[in-house]
Amino acid sequence: MMKSLVIIPAYNEEKSILRTVQDIREHAPDFDYVVVNDCSTDDTLAICRREHIRVLALPVNLGIGGAVQTGYLYAMKNGYDYAVQFDGDGQHDAAFLHAMRDKMEAEGVNMMIGSRFIEGEGFQSSAVRRFGIRFFTGLIRLLTGKTVTDPTSGMRMADKKVIAMFADCYPKDYPEPESLVACLQAGMKVSEYPVIMRERMGGVSSISPMRSVYYMIKVTLAILVEFFRRKEYRK
Amino acid sequence: MMTVKLQLIVGAVLILGMLLILIMVKKRSLDLKYALSWLLGIVLVLILDCFPKLLNRLSRALGVFSPVNMIFFLGFCFSLLIIFTLTVIVSRMSERIRKLSQAVALNEEKLRILTADEQKEKKEDGK
Repeated sequence: MMKSLVIIPAYNEEKSILRTVQDIREHAPDFDYVVVNDCSTDDTLAICRREHIRVLALPVNLGIGGAVQTGYLYAMKNGYDYAVQFDGDGQHDAAFLHAMRDKMEAEGVNMMIGSRFIEGEGFQSSAVRRFGIRFFTGLIRLLTGKTVTDPTSGMRMADKKVIAMFADCYPKDYPEPESLVACLQAGMKVSEYPVIMRERMGGVSSISPMRSVYYMIKVTLAILVEFFRRKEYRK
Repeated sequence: MMTVKLQLIVGAVLILGMLLILIMVKKRSLDLKYALSWLLGIVLVLILDCFPKLLNRLSRALGVFSPVNMIFFLGFCFSLLIIFTLTVIVSRMSERIRKLSQAVALNEEKLRILTADEQKEKKEDGK
């Protein structure tokens, strides 16, 4: 029997965390789940405790990267075969989790990314963001030769190899594209699965419009650094 | 040449700074490990301040027109060095804090499960 874990990073998600957990209980009942509370200032932690949801409560705010990594550490220490990141704000749909895992097993890939842009259904994000995402897709294709349509997707399933890799090393902020390149550079097989995402139910995006310029520069640099870093390791 | 007046002012500021650092180290509000680079910088600039001939020779060798500028330039270089060292230290510390908080969160969860098991056992024993 495969052990699978859903990692739900949560920062101030009191409005949507229960619905997210309910969604997983209903649509992916054989997945264990754990909420990583990134030192929320609202009632996220209290709600989870009251409902007896398994929570890893970080004593200080680490940001999305550190929170997700806590989940991967937990997955590694408890011997999970698969771990999937799943946003606590209701964007992701647990109905896809089984199909993602089945496809992972069938194709023997190390990481499966839930992509909004393969079928182009559901919430497609704003035009500006799509442009930014397309830029990263192009950059990653240029560097690694691999086409990933949704490199910023926060819905990603990892096998044991990638779990161990992320538990050891994971970027701090805006981690998705960077860690994806790290995976590709380490020779991991990455594939995508078409999913439908919703608009968030509550909470605030980690990328506010004001920060988007910083975001583009930081992620672009991080991808380039990651590209050269792994190349050095190989020598 | 540097005027004696400026020499005295620079010297006084440096010695005051050094005293402040030493007092803070004594009070343990400043770690000697991190104070060392400041003390080293102050001592070096102080030496140049006390021996203007040395300063003149050094500035001529490096092509600096005015010895006073040499003092400022050296002070600036030292400040940059210390600031950069601090950035390195901050990076390392944030890495450590991250690891620590993750360990705390994981251990707390483990503890919760253990105490829950214990209570269950106690209840069963009570029956």
